[in-house]
Amino acid sequence: MPRSTVRITRRDLFQSVLPVAPLFIPGTALGLNGAAAPSDRVTVGGLGIGNRGASVLRSFLAQSDVQFLAICDVRNDRRETIKSMADQKYGNRDCAMYSDQEELWARKDIDAVLIATGDRWHTPLSILTAQAGKDVYCEKPCSMTIAESRALADTFQRLGRIYQAGTQRRNGTNFIKAWELARSGKLGKLTTLHAEAGPGERWAPLTSHAWLPAEPEPPKQVVDWDRWLGPAPWRPYHPSYVQGRWRGYFDFHGGGILEWGSHTVDLCSWAGDLDETAPVELEPHGMGANTPYSIHCRYANGLRLVLRDKGFLGLGSCHIRYEGETGWIETADGGKIEVSENLRSENLFVSREEAGQATTNHVRDFVNCVKSRRQPRSNALAACQAHITCHASYIAFQLGRKLNFDPATDAFTGPGSDEANRMRSRAMREPWRI
Amino acid sequence: MPQTPTAQPKTPAPAAQPPPPPLPPAMIDDKYGSAADIMALPQAKLIAILKDPEASPYAKAKACQRLAVIGDRTAVAALAGLLTDPQLSAYARYGLEPNADPSADAALRAALPKLKGSLLIGVINSIGLRKDRRSLDALSKLRYDADPAVARAADSALARLRPRL
Repeated sequence: MPRSTVRITRRDLFQSVLPVAPLFIPGTALGLNGAAAPSDRVTVGGLGIGNRGASVLRSFLAQSDVQFLAICDVRNDRRETIKSMADQKYGNRDCAMYSDQEELWARKDIDAVLIATGDRWHTPLSILTAQAGKDVYCEKPCSMTIAESRALADTFQRLGRIYQAGTQRRNGTNFIKAWELARSGKLGKLTTLHAEAGPGERWAPLTSHAWLPAEPEPPKQVVDWDRWLGPAPWRPYHPSYVQGRWRGYFDFHGGGILEWGSHTVDLCSWAGDLDETAPVELEPHGMGANTPYSIHCRYANGLRLVLRDKGFLGLGSCHIRYEGETGWIETADGGKIEVSENLRSENLFVSREEAGQATTNHVRDFVNCVKSRRQPRSNALAACQAHITCHASYIAFQLGRKLNFDPATDAFTGPGSDEANRMRSRAMREPWRI
Repeated sequence: MPQTPTAQPKTPAPAAQPPPPPLPPAMIDDKYGSAADIMALPQAKLIAILKDPEASPYAKAKACQRLAVIGDRTAVAALAGLLTDPQLSAYARYGLEPNADPSADAALRAALPKLKGSLLIGVINSIGLRKDRRSLDALSKLRYDADPAVARAADSALARLRPRL
């Protein structure tokens, strides 16, 4: 039978496929009413969002060109909370919920992922998320070991994904002013950088190897304990860990040195132009219980870094102090900036409100970089190096002796370095690897 | 090292918050005591814990973690004996991975045919991290394992073993 030829005009086609009722397209989908057009939006998913993560998520939701699409968490109550936040923001019920991160990674329509799990998960999830083709904003501390820190940076550099560590103070106005002053030469040649480590009375510098007594595990759909532990070594379930009291345990946390140091050492590295290196010498002081502690570090160029938990000016949490040959500057989360007498004429006023915008600015920096493919302020390499400095400081403190370190190989050197080098990595629980 | 002069401490007290309920006392092993007690023991006593059938998983886990830092060739056999234990296999690898003695490679290699599933993947991962080139043949076979997760782990480990140009 001969095949008939049917000629279809453009008008015929439109008449056949267009719906009979008038089509309503919401203004937000077209980029009207201040909303970004879909092609200009960054779509985001979340992994493990608790209290701090929810605070960061609010900054994401405040961006008109961000759309939050899905949450993955091992805790059912947290999944529901985050879905509720997103749905309320968008006036719909579209935020998807997952308990398995593979499902979130499989979503081709998600560009970037906010990771705010416990610290033990940060590096493996960041790496796997990058391998799934997505950019990452990850809370700090970003790694559990020196080896994880390096693997994190290597992965993001190799894959060309965007990574922003949740060290938001790099986008805090008062910390930027301190950085500008340090880099302007107005302090003279920098001599010593001071970074506040977590106060010992809140976070002991060294963490505990203890386990809490076993309690019955809840059903998996309520809390998936195996997934909560993830790459950390197995231990019996206790509800306190899951309720946020996992800090202070070696398997989950880096103590005060990592808790605040991941912010303040990071800021000092930035001010001292040390984003691509680490100290060559680390010496712990004050190892007695409940005494002020410090770790004195020296870089190859002679610049000194002091991590300490006491002796700052009381300007809030997370103090930094930059000292040069002709002046000094100190600031913290309160936003106030103190300087040496010779710098009092500088315009250094920052309101508390302005100082409180750091997280929103940091999220904005990340979203801009997802679009531009430029490196954000707290990119993977900068975060890696600051974290290596913190981990090396922790190891020096734990061993209670001065250590030499080679930033080119991420290895401790010299006599007695064997124990320290063994502490640079930890075996991950199966099946996880980086 | 000289202390840099700074102002007097004025760190303000944190804002008042209701204190969380106290944590229960940490676990204590009836025979070996607290985690700190166990981790203060010398290598020979840590090895004895690993071999003691009465020692709790807690005591054995802590012994493995300490042996990761101080263990030598004499610790390898006792650690390797735990590679087949579902709860403690990861701790055994924790102790073996940083041990520089070649017998640790041999122990991990020897465990391959005894394991399957996640525990096998864990040992493959450790072999990859240690870059044990004597495992090339075994890993090459495991690349075609019926379990795709095992095959992926073997593939990943092989990539680490190959010399870089």
